[in-house]
Parts: sequence; structure tokens; C-alpha cells
Amino acid sequence: MSTKVVIKQSTYFDSVSLMSLSTKANQIEGVEQAVIAMGTDMNKEVLKNVGLLTPELEAAKTSDLMIVVKAATDELCESALIAIEELFKKKGGSKSATEIKYSTIDSAAASIPEANLAVISVNGAFAAREARKALENDLHVMLFSDNVSIEEEIALKQFAHEKGLLMMGPDCGTAIIGNVALCFGNAVRKGNIGIVGASGTGSQEVSVRIHDFGGGITQLIGTGGRDLSEQVGGIMMLDGIKALEEDEATKVIVLISKPPAASVQEKVLAQVKSCKKPVVVYFIGGEETPVLEAGGHFAKTSKEAAIKAVVLAGANEDELNKRALNWPLIEEVRAKLTPEQKYVRGLFCGGTLCDEAMYLAMDKYEDVYSNIQKKADYKLKNIHESKAHTFLDMGDDDFTNGKPHPMIDPSTRIARFLEEAKDPSVGVILMDFILGFGSHEDPVGVMLPAILEAKANAAKEGRHLEILGYVLGTDLDTPNFDEQVKKLMDAGVTIASSSTNAGLLAREFVAKGE
Amino acid sequence: MYIQALSGDAGFLERLARSNFSGTVHSTFERTINLKCSENGELYTIGNHQLDNAPNTLIIDVKGFSELGLPVNTPVITEDGTLVIGADLRIWIQQAAKWEGVLPSYPCDIEAVEVLRRNVAFTKNYVDEYGKTGGMKMSSQPASPFEKEMSRMLIQRAGMLSNDLANKRIESATQHAISLIGLGPGLTPSGDDFLVGLCSVYKMQNISSCLSCPFFDEIVRSSQALTNEISAITLKKAAHGQVRESLNDLLSCMISGSLEELVPALDKIIRIGSSSGTDILLGILCGLERNLEAGGNVCLPKS
Repeated sequence: MSTKVVIKQSTYFDSVSLMSLSTKANQIEGVEQAVIAMGTDMNKEVLKNVGLLTPELEAAKTSDLMIVVKAATDELCESALIAIEELFKKKGGSKSATEIKYSTIDSAAASIPEANLAVISVNGAFAAREARKALENDLHVMLFSDNVSIEEEIALKQFAHEKGLLMMGPDCGTAIIGNVALCFGNAVRKGNIGIVGASGTGSQEVSVRIHDFGGGITQLIGTGGRDLSEQVGGIMMLDGIKALEEDEATKVIVLISKPPAASVQEKVLAQVKSCKKPVVVYFIGGEETPVLEAGGHFAKTSKEAAIKAVVLAGANEDELNKRALNWPLIEEVRAKLTPEQKYVRGLFCGGTLCDEAMYLAMDKYEDVYSNIQKKADYKLKNIHESKAHTFLDMGDDDFTNGKPHPMIDPSTRIARFLEEAKDPSVGVILMDFILGFGSHEDPVGVMLPAILEAKANAAKEGRHLEILGYVLGTDLDTPNFDEQVKKLMDAGVTIASSSTNAGLLAREFVAKGE
Repeated sequence: MYIQALSGDAGFLERLARSNFSGTVHSTFERTINLKCSENGELYTIGNHQLDNAPNTLIIDVKGFSELGLPVNTPVITEDGTLVIGADLRIWIQQAAKWEGVLPSYPCDIEAVEVLRRNVAFTKNYVDEYGKTGGMKMSSQPASPFEKEMSRMLIQRAGMLSNDLANKRIESATQHAISLIGLGPGLTPSGDDFLVGLCSVYKMQNISSCLSCPFFDEIVRSSQALTNEISAITLKKAAHGQVRESLNDLLSCMISGSLEELVPALDKIIRIGSSSGTDILLGILCGLERNLEAGGNVCLPKS
């Protein structure tokens, strides 16, 4: 008979795992007895009683795991210990066995010759270098990393353009390629509409609305937020339009961006003019005339962009449920608000959603402030203090410097929400809740205690606090869209059916004397 | 990564709110991670939503811990009332519900004692039927001579402890209690689990057969040397009358609950660990039976 011992120092496995391992170890062929137990004095006493105690085991500490195997031969003991070690590895390993890690892009590209796209999310200091390596390996790139200089961005995009590759980003958070959402994105139906978007949540919103109106997506190409700046010159939006024009499955193209630099808009619209496919242009706050002159289809809102796209793609407009604005609801809410409750406070995770609601408010009111206002007079000087109508993009660097994005860590938004809710001049607080890949697993749930608290406090003061929520997601998303909406409704939150309607409802709720 | 704390031990939450906690990750499991506090050397636990509240424990909204990949010795600090583990994981506690576990009082009238007597008898049968073997409850077919011998020693030592308690031989009872510490399979050895159950009974208010402080003090002292740190902190807390929420609930059910209420409470305990829940239940049964036998006497509060 042979006995072999292994001591694993300071090793803890939960009781169920230990018992399961012990049982399996005793079933290994050739093993007469196997013991897996913590190295306490009392357990050593048991080992002594059954004749298995060795000097090595005597020295084990209470935090050590003792493994003892008794078998007919040394070889059988050794092979049993190897088998036990395998059992430990299986227990400890939580990753999928099919997941393979590569330490460099070169080795990954060499090992997966059929790969054609790399998603890069590394420290900004190394991001451009990795992106270049990927392009050199003939891989399209989605560059999630930010803190990449504009010079590096231009160089990468020019290099990609020369090679006929897509260079999405830097700071590109959303793309849907081949029906797979990359980074932040929603589960949307496959269809015949292609999107090129310079804004992440704007692209998410349009893709979700297209899904809602019965349409579907071929590709959603993200460009990164700086693409339509004067310096970059829209290299990726131009290449994106070209790629979708050449894609047989794409029948309609939608462009989304914050207002581009004038010269870049000219270039983009020139390409729209020459494009053989219908192009819907949604440049937030943009003008209609130049788009129409270029033969494009102008959309003033994200919802209008989606409706126009699905109709151009073949849907019967008369059969669409366009989710008209609920005017009886607006009257009902207006009646609940006091004359001094005249302001909207918008607290957004999505930058484009914030922008859209802000522009809709600006159509009606003068005093609309924001941390992302283009009008200098209305740009908040102190982002921690709201003024009149205030719309905050809480995902902007102002708020996220050194902190996670509010789509991941909602603590900053919760604190700001509780502050806004105390203000007696506030009529409605508008918030977005973004579902889908990459987002918080329960964006509504983490906000609910604060919502209930704010509502209760307002009620104590005899004040109605209107909270308007918009859940950006589809019926295919995780977490479940209906459950998220229900949680909000159960907490007394009014639900808007789109980003556009959220902005319109908010501005109308607080309108006075109409 | 941000994670919401759902609830937590009131003392632990207060400590975090005062930003008065720093330490390292001591050990990690799928449903819990343990943190070693550098201020007092105690272990604190972060558990996922499947676990119940417990002393020194914070329950957070996470499915499992393995995917977080937190290695042992990762530094832990508090910052603005947020628990920060390593570089990426931040646990936000502001919305967490405070939990304070309180053991129920031992019944003091005849009718209530009869309810307890009925529930103890039912629980004994229930453990016989549904309790898990491998620890205090010996399997009819032990997997190995080691398991057989271990169960034999556990049963023998618990029996001697029970006998001493029945005969008020406290010094001897203390020695037999110590002989159980660290004895048994699993991360929390069966002997420790048995003592957790036993202590929870003897720490109830108005307990009829009182145990003196040195008994508990000796358990706490000996556990430092005789068992691992994770089990030792559980024993220490139990010796001070602090046990997990499901155990408080079970004892409340044992004292005043109907059989319909008792069954789910028992099932919840039996599901703890491998044989841990069953071992705890056997400790509770031992304590309650000794007290039912002793009857009548009420321990006077210490001056």
C-alpha cells in the first residue's frame, strides 16, 4: 500500500465543493481511500485513528487543505492525485472551455484566419498602436477606447480608408455588425436598413425605434463622436455610407450625428446626393433645406428618422402605430402641477437622448440650460446647480471624470435626482433607462428606492412630482423590457414610448396657460 | 464596476458609512467573498442575493463572484461610504436595508413550552428523514473509513457534551465542546456547525438552563487555534448570540410557529452547505432538548 499527501496552503473551497470532490476522489479507480479536508487538529486526529497521519499532515495548519490518497501502488497514488487536481481545476474554472485568450492581436489574427473584425478596448495610451496592428492584419476595427489623440484618429482612419477597412472610433460605443451588437447595443431584428452613427445612444435609439415599427437592421456602423469634426472630416461616415451602398441587403441608409462642421456636412450631403439608395439624415438640431437639396430625407427627431426609414424600406405608413403624443395625459399632469412647478430637469445616461430632449425644449422655451449646450449663455457654469429648464448629459466627461459611466454606476445620477426632487420649481424630472448589451443589469431597479423616496417626500409637502421615464430597449433585450417598464409604472413613473416623445411630453407637462 | 448593496448587518453598514474599513480579500467563493479587516482582524463577508443576512455580512446584487475575478489579497478600502475592492469593484451601500439579527426569547409559560416540545419532536423526525449525512448524521454507507470514523467521533463527542449539559457538568461540557471544534468535513467543520446551533439556543433570552460566560469565552478562544478563520468568526458570533437570519427565523418558528411554518424554515437550514445545515439543526435540537428537560428555571440577568 502507498499513501501520498498534498497540502494546499491557505486554500478554501466551500463545503459543498469539498464534499463533492471528496466523494469523486473516493470513486477514482484504484483508490482505496481518499481524504480531502481542512487541516484542523481534530481532523488530524481522525486521520491518526484510521492510520493515515503522516508528519507532513501533522504540520498542516487550520487554513490548509489536506489531500490524502491511499492506493495499492505509488503509481496509482500519483495518477489519483493528478485526477484530483483535475477535479479542482474543473471546480475552480468558471470560464467557458471554448474561450481562448490571445495576448496579442498578431497571434489572434494568425490563429483565427477567418476573423475580419477586432474590438479594441485598452488604455488610450496603447489604443492607437493596437488599432494599427489590427488594420495591418486586414481587420476592420471597432475602437472602444477613448483618450486617443485626434492626430492618431486621422492617421488610423486614412490608413483604414486606403485599405478599404472600417475604422469605427475611437470612443465608439455602439455598433451592430452581422446582427451582433458590439459594446453597447440592443437586440434588434435583422432587416434592410443600415445605420451610420456618430452618436452612440442616438444610434441605439434609432435602431430600437426601427425594431419597434416592425423594421430591422442590416449593419449599424459607429464612427466615433469626432468623426464629423473639421479635422477628421467625416472619413468614417463617408466610408460607412459607401459600404452600406455596396451592401446588397441594405435598402435604406440612416445617418445620425450631432450637428457636423459645415464643411463636413457639405461633403456628407454630396455623398448622399450621389448615393443610389434613399438616405435619411438625422443631424440633431440640423436644418432641413440642405438635406432636401441633396435629395436626402430630413428627420427632425430620432422617431421621425425611424419612421421614414421603415416606410422607405417598404412598410405601409398607414399601418404603423406611430405612438402619437398622449394629450389627455398631458392635460392630466398639467392639472396636478402648481403654477410654480414650471421647469423640466432631465438627467440622462445617453448623450444623444439628452440632446434630443434639450432641442425639443429649446423649440418652446428660451431658458434651457445644459452641460452640453452649444449656446454659451445657456451652458451651465456650475454643473452641480441646475437653472430653469436643465438637461444634463451625465455620461459627459464633466460627470464621469474618474468615475464610471452612469449606465454602469448610477450613484451620481441618484444623488442628483434626489436633489432635483426637492426643488419646488421642478414640475417634471425626465430620465432614460438604457437596456441591452453592456448596460447595467437592472437600470430601473437601482433607481427605484430613490424614486419612491422622492415621491414620498414630495407628497408629504403636498406637492405632485412628475417623474417621466424612458426605457430604451426592445422586447428581445436583457433585462426584460416589460419588467423594467412595469417596475417604473408601479412606482408611479409615467412612461414615454420613445426618446422623442419623452422630450415632447416633458416640455408639454410644464407648459402653463395654454 | 458598480454593484448595489441590498442589505447588510447594521454594524457593518455603520462601519462602512463612517468609511472606517480597510483590509484585503481573504478568500473567494462563487456566492461569497470574505474580507479581512485590518482594523480588528475580523472577517467580513460579501454575499450574493441568494444568501440570507448574517453577522458581519453585506448582501449585494450580483449573480456570482467568480466572474469578477477578485484574487486573494486584493486591497479593500472605503471611500465616501462606498466599499471599494481592488481597482474596479465599487459597492454602493446607501440604499442597503439595515439588518439586525435578534434571537427570540425562550418560552416562559406552559402552553408555549408545549408548542416548543411539539416542534422539537417534529424537527427530530424531520432531520432523521431529510437531514444530510456525512457529518453529525452518519451515512449508512460511509464513502471511506475516514468518513465513518469522523462521524463516529462527532456523534460520540456531541453525546458527551449533551450528557454533561444535562447533568450541569459545565467544566466537562466545555472540554467536550472544545473537542468538537475543527472536527469534520467541509469548510465549516461539522463540530463547529453543531456548536453554532447549540450556542444560538443557549444565547436566547430567558433560556431556562443558563450557561455561564466562561463556556462561550472558551469556545471563542479555542476556535482561534482549532479551526479555520472563516469558521472561527461564525463560532465567535454565535457565542455572542449573533447568527444568520434563517437561523433566527427557524428558532422563532420552533418556539411559536405552526408545523406549516416550520417546514420551510427547516428546509432552508438543511440546504446550508453540504451537511452544515443538518449539523446546525442537531446542535439546536441538543440545546432545546436539554432546556426542555431542565424546565422551569429562569436564568437571572447578570448584575
